[in-house]
Amino acid sequence: MTVNFLFQLFILSWQSLRANLFRSFLTTLGIIIGTTTIIIVVALGEGAKRDIEAQYSNMSVTTILVNAPATGGSPSKLSINDIPLVKEIPTVAEAVPMLTGKVNIAAGDNTTNFSVVGTYADFAEVANLEFVSGTFFTQEDEDGHNKQAILGATVAEELYGSKTPDVIGETVILGKREFEIIGIAKYRGGAFGPVTIDESVFTPYSSAYRYVLGKNGKFSFNVNASSVETLPATMDALAVVLRDAHNIGPSDTEDFRLRDMGATVASAQSSSATMAFLLGSVGFIVLLVGGIGIMNIMYVTVSERTKEIGVRKAIGAKDVYILTQFLFEAFILTAVGFVLGTIIALGFYYLLLSFDLKIVFVWWSLPLSFVITFAVGMFFGYAPAKQAAALNPIDALRYE
Amino acid sequence: MATKIISLEDVKKSYFIKSEEFSILKGINFDIEKGEFVSLMGPSGSGKSTLLNIIGALDKPTSGKYFIQEKLVSTLLSDQLADIRNRYIGFIFQNFNLIPTLSALDNVALPSFYAGKLAYERAKELLNMVGLSGRFNNRPNELSGGQRQRVAIARALINDPEFILADEPTGNLDSKTGREIMDLISSLKNKHGKTILMVTHDQHLSKITDRVIYLKDGKITNKKSV
Repeated sequence: MTVNFLFQLFILSWQSLRANLFRSFLTTLGIIIGTTTIIIVVALGEGAKRDIEAQYSNMSVTTILVNAPATGGSPSKLSINDIPLVKEIPTVAEAVPMLTGKVNIAAGDNTTNFSVVGTYADFAEVANLEFVSGTFFTQEDEDGHNKQAILGATVAEELYGSKTPDVIGETVILGKREFEIIGIAKYRGGAFGPVTIDESVFTPYSSAYRYVLGKNGKFSFNVNASSVETLPATMDALAVVLRDAHNIGPSDTEDFRLRDMGATVASAQSSSATMAFLLGSVGFIVLLVGGIGIMNIMYVTVSERTKEIGVRKAIGAKDVYILTQFLFEAFILTAVGFVLGTIIALGFYYLLLSFDLKIVFVWWSLPLSFVITFAVGMFFGYAPAKQAAALNPIDALRYE
Repeated sequence: MATKIISLEDVKKSYFIKSEEFSILKGINFDIEKGEFVSLMGPSGSGKSTLLNIIGALDKPTSGKYFIQEKLVSTLLSDQLADIRNRYIGFIFQNFNLIPTLSALDNVALPSFYAGKLAYERAKELLNMVGLSGRFNNRPNELSGGQRQRVAIARALINDPEFILADEPTGNLDSKTGREIMDLISSLKNKHGKTILMVTHDQHLSKITDRVIYLKDGKITNKKSV
């Protein structure tokens, strides 16, 4: 069989499908939906994965987040006084307090509502902050309760309409007090523990406590262990130190919570991978059903066209020509289904994007769905094609 | 000496149902020479269809030999038989047997396609010859019975076969159209020197052929009783 001959056979198959356009479309519907599902599911999975990565991108695997339990019990005694005690643990490299709370933030005529974060000077280093202009505050600012503020990128944009405003030395009102802007942080996305960096204003801990948040602020702190190996020991030591400091008896419930960020990231990643796998399986099952649809309709087609197959054989078509023609039909149905499915998937993708859904198109979802779709389509197309090819021309001719 | 196109030597065909033998053809011998127009007649159950299938290379005899142009056909494999049907035999069926999804032109060209040398120009010439000049792109359901049979005749000729096998070619046509189709088939012999074997029930039709072969109970007879 030459290339030209195959091409002509292909045209024949195309004509047969065209003659029954609506049914051909119904046949390929399962393939369309399956392809769409796989591409969208992969994009959703990737979106979830990126989201998790972004959320935890600023955290080191040696980070332990210490905060008050969400509910119940007596008020937590977690406070700034714990920090020096925690720093005495030999395996603790850093301990950075964070006092957070939402307040109105105003500059000029603009007022917005974002978090104020009162922290120590080493926060900038621990959280890897970079600056568009200005710097972070120092230990002296902390000691002097200086009213100085560093704006996150989103806060700056909301207040001044730009992520890089030239406002160093100007005044911003946090709650009711005026603070001097001494730095603008670079946009970076993601979070650091309870803090969304771009949507926060950073001030010295003492100033935030005294002038802005007071007892309404939520207190937590980040502890970095000296290495991954010392992390479990550090967790244990933290529990002992904090129980002792808070006078918690051996049988009493802790008024603090320790979260190992490495484990949190790992479990979030694994649950998103599980979700992607489950959704992917659904896509595969849809494709499988689509494949069975192709097989079904092709069997119907073969019995409907028994006479035609008989005629073709009588005028000289070899078995392999009939087989090839029907395989081409399965191929075309699959290919058209794949292309339409891809187009619909892209449409869906942009639709979901416009709803701000976390979804990221991944190029390899195309070859992936291509391979699965064609494997399914050709696998299920083969049996009816084989049956068509094996028909006895005499019986087929006599068939009415 | 005239060339033998078809030659059957003691062709027998039996079917076995639960190890019981049913003999359909009981030793058929005849030749058809180049340019002959022969009709095959016989009552239902005479084995006519079975014989036609064997001559049409659609079926193989249980024993005996079948030659087309001295080429032994009775022992060939199914793909080789497909090739024989494609190159040596032009089929004309009672119910036309055109492919419904293809145009008249594509139907005529189809055997040349299976032969690996698609011949649209020749297909057009043949459609012109059978009087369907303006009908190249019509599908079978857009053509009358007589026109369909003309398409089928053009298709039978596309690969320039050694002989035409016509199975009751006018059986599904009214008598006027039937006569026109018979004129066309006769002209294949008269004008183009084609060898034709035609199965028919019709005594009148058999009279215009050179020779009649009668089949009864699986044997050739000389009695002209049908």
